[in-house]
Amino acid sequence: MAESQPARIVTGRDVTTDVDVRADVCVVGSGPGGAVMAARLADRGARVVVLEEGGFHPPGSVPLSEAVAYPRLYQEHGQRATSDLALTILQGRAVGGSSTVNWTTSFRTPDRVLTHWRERYGLVGFTTEALLPHFMAVEERLEVHEQPEDGVNANNRVLYDGAERLGWDRARTRRNVQGCQSLGYCGMSCPIGARRSADQTYVPDALARGAQLYANARVVKLVREGHRFTEVVAEALDPATDQPTGRMIRVRPKVLVLSGGAINTPALLLRSGIDLAGKVGTRTFLHPVAAMIGRHRQRIEGYYGAPQSVSSHHFAERGPGKVGFFMEAAPVHPVLAATALGGFGARHEELMSALPYVSALIALAVDGFLPSEDGGTVSLRSDGRVRIDYPIPPEVWEALREGAKALARVHLAAGAEVVHSLHEEPIEIRNEMDVAKLDRARWEPGRLALFTAHQMGGCAMGADPERSVTTPELRLQAHENAFVVDGSVLPTSLGVNPQLTIFALAHWAAEHVAAAVR
Amino acid sequence: MPHMPRRPPPLSLDMPGAGESRRTFLVRGLAGGALLVLGSAGWLLTRKTRLPPEAFGSLRVFSPEEAAVLAAIAERLVPERPGFPRPGVLRLASRMDEVAAMAHPATQVELRRLVRLFESALGGLLLDGQARVFTTSTPAQQDRRLGSWAQSRLPLRRTGYRALKRLVYASYYAAPETWAAIGYAGPPLEIPAAGGGGR
Repeated sequence: MAESQPARIVTGRDVTTDVDVRADVCVVGSGPGGAVMAARLADRGARVVVLEEGGFHPPGSVPLSEAVAYPRLYQEHGQRATSDLALTILQGRAVGGSSTVNWTTSFRTPDRVLTHWRERYGLVGFTTEALLPHFMAVEERLEVHEQPEDGVNANNRVLYDGAERLGWDRARTRRNVQGCQSLGYCGMSCPIGARRSADQTYVPDALARGAQLYANARVVKLVREGHRFTEVVAEALDPATDQPTGRMIRVRPKVLVLSGGAINTPALLLRSGIDLAGKVGTRTFLHPVAAMIGRHRQRIEGYYGAPQSVSSHHFAERGPGKVGFFMEAAPVHPVLAATALGGFGARHEELMSALPYVSALIALAVDGFLPSEDGGTVSLRSDGRVRIDYPIPPEVWEALREGAKALARVHLAAGAEVVHSLHEEPIEIRNEMDVAKLDRARWEPGRLALFTAHQMGGCAMGADPERSVTTPELRLQAHENAFVVDGSVLPTSLGVNPQLTIFALAHWAAEHVAAAVR
Repeated sequence: MPHMPRRPPPLSLDMPGAGESRRTFLVRGLAGGALLVLGSAGWLLTRKTRLPPEAFGSLRVFSPEEAAVLAAIAERLVPERPGFPRPGVLRLASRMDEVAAMAHPATQVELRRLVRLFESALGGLLLDGQARVFTTSTPAQQDRRLGSWAQSRLPLRRTGYRALKRLVYASYYAAPETWAAIGYAGPPLEIPAAGGGGR
């Protein structure tokens, strides 16, 4: 079947009989990791089959409506969260993975992060020089370039101007778009195909080279014989209902590549009985996010325009024992805003009725660098659901609090009349004196809205087999023919939005995986 | 920095906080246990639930009583204000039912349990000193119960409150009928809901 069918995406609707295929490589997941891997291996002549749990949504097929887009394009129909609901988890689920719904911010891995990995995790090959050609290659394919000044919307302008007035570093970000019309709906997948996401770049590259991609194909089990994976078992899902159709897709590969992301890859390994002495699904890092909203005299309309075009890394490194944070903007579409804002009743309505005048900025904590940090865990409930726990350590709470204070100052410096925290009892800040109120606020789970859009770790790479799930070449420990190529191999968070690192990492890793395909 | 063995995850919906005395933890543990038992007690908790005059249509997840509780919560989360459509007019309970229907069956069970617990008179008595079901309480009493869950010392109740709040507000503000009230002009491009061949 793999040889005879033309290159196209097969959806769950197309799978009318059970499928059984052989392949050189089976890639589980079609986000930045899986798509690049499929394209690079297919380019070398390997027979590649990609299994993607999410659906295929070509540009213009998803209404720009939160009611439709979140259930259709996000993990757990937009309802993924930590088990205590303290952190809302935004994570894509579609052909192209999170790259179809993220806010297109494209950063290379910071040098200091690579240095930390070399020193702490023995990842000696991870130098800026070694990764440079891979970053350059993916940046060219993804058409990554700095957002022009006239493409900075009023919401990002608040960060740009506010930070400047405070004397803090800030810059326009690079984005993977071409022909962007600054509509502002990146989070609902680009309606005009301007985003150079995995589904618009490496997925078509892979298909053009003969790779097969099954969408709506949920992998339920990895079958092993000894230390070799022999079969990947997936169930076809009905694209309309997301329920299993009863048809199964079995792929028998020489080499397995797991690219389901930092939550689903550990979950799949655990579901298949592989926990590598309890290491799989540990050290999950999330860049926990606190947000602050400002209210201005003039209209901001933070739901229109490129959602992220400015970033400040002024506080990314805060010295020994401290967790750093970086600052960006976030769009304020009604559902996103309404579920984030504190309070209920008249107070909530009051905040919502000011939506066009609201700016929203976020502080992302750079977790995973302190020796004391364990991060979160991914585990399975007895009913099969994935469970994510992230006990926020005091150092991360401190970073979120200081991040919120910094954001309040940015808002005020940019002219906001009033700034609110997302506490259930919103902290109201009208001037510098008020900023100290945030020191007295309660920073505890469930007392304010927190988020994560960046999931990392859970299958950490490293030189020491006792402390890692994958080798520095991304081979799954204790197995002969499997690799993990996605955000789960990152041993810490990144301190920058992760998509470009994962694209480049996959580009780099393709050499190692290709060598394993004989 | 050796790898620590996997910690057993804390009990579902429960989460020990840091730096608490043994006594408060024990008290909380007992209350948490009571919550779970209450939530499991089933129909008894909604026996006195006041059903609104209008029917909810066909519900996939919630019972009519549970939908009535959610509708009553929505009435307080979005109280009357010029320009804001009433949740009942939007048939919000049905919309919430549709959202819940997308969740895992086990999550649906937890959600129903949560709604019944929130409604229950016994839970109200134990937790808020109000021995009335939520749906027959006065608006002021209802706001007090919502506030006491929102600001509870028990993480379990704060989690429950967040789940209910999220369900109500996500369903309400996803409705285009609400956008005029908040000055949102909607997306710049119209794409029909059935558009493309995607999903």
